[in-house]
Amino acid sequence: MLMPYMNHSAREISFKIVYYGAAMSGKTTNLLHIHKVLSDDVKGEVVMLDTEEERTLFFDFFPIYLGTIEGFKLRFNIYTVPGQVIYEASRKLIVNGADAIVFVVDSQPSRLNDNFQSWQSLMTNLELCNVDAGQVPIVLQYNKRDLEPRIEIGTIERALGLNGIPVFESSATRGIGVVDTLKKVSIMMIERFSTANLK
Amino acid sequence: MQQNELTQKMTRLNQDAEARTTMLITMQGNCVVSVGDLSYLNVPAISALVAGMFSATQEVARLVGEDHFSILLQQGEKRNIHISLIDNTIMLLIIFDDVMTMGKVRYVARKALRDIADAYSYTKVDKQVDGEKFKEFAISLIDSIFDEK
Repeated sequence: MLMPYMNHSAREISFKIVYYGAAMSGKTTNLLHIHKVLSDDVKGEVVMLDTEEERTLFFDFFPIYLGTIEGFKLRFNIYTVPGQVIYEASRKLIVNGADAIVFVVDSQPSRLNDNFQSWQSLMTNLELCNVDAGQVPIVLQYNKRDLEPRIEIGTIERALGLNGIPVFESSATRGIGVVDTLKKVSIMMIERFSTANLK
Repeated sequence: MQQNELTQKMTRLNQDAEARTTMLITMQGNCVVSVGDLSYLNVPAISALVAGMFSATQEVARLVGEDHFSILLQQGEKRNIHISLIDNTIMLLIIFDDVMTMGKVRYVARKALRDIADAYSYTKVDKQVDGEKFKEFAISLIDSIFDEK
């Protein structure tokens, strides 16, 4: 069940949103764009743990402070996982406790198998964390739509049987479709949480 | 009231250990309670990083044939940190200045662990929120922050 973290002492509700996807698909670029466009009063510092080649080693992270609801401060913690295959352990620990996931697809045809492999890794890690994949809001973001050639929208959903999953097109380097993706997954997450907590 | 009890126990531990800061952090990277000097700390960032660091260490433990490492020590020039696993869901982080007090920190932490674990278990009973009302306000906040970005 979706369960954000409630801190009664600090009167805070924290949700964890994770950007997942193959190496170099644009997860960190998404995060940095979001951080860039948000105003200073709603965002915290970005924490990045990169290798010398600027590949995510552990995770990237920053908090968004949305405001207060019924005395509770609402916070979204935005994380990216490392995409490279060797960092499976890091991905597992970031996925643990995720309230929503943005799966970033690299639209280049040459990366199709990497996308499939990454999706499989996501499903495995959710299972290892005892999370039912059907209970976590997931949005598919086809990134790098400014590049040619690119795979058709629908390629991933058809191959993986993801009927009805929300899909966005983006170019994270240009900042197109990035905020829309986060907004959609945020709303899905809140709706899921609210339904689970209906009085 | 139970949260106050937890904060009181943490404050006492921080004083007994002569530590600078003491925090209780979930394995998901959220800070439950932080006491002592917080003026120099980015609490969300250190919570996320310590959780990540601890999880990575657990993976190292597994690779060398251990179930887990229950204590982590990091020694610096001016500051040191002591992290101990309370159960499989939370960690106690103690930041202290004088490396010579390491033994004391370890002793105090070990002594207080059970007490803190008990106090923490009482705080885990989550208050239910009004789902419909929460949804309405939260979506309005999301709109106001993300629209036209």
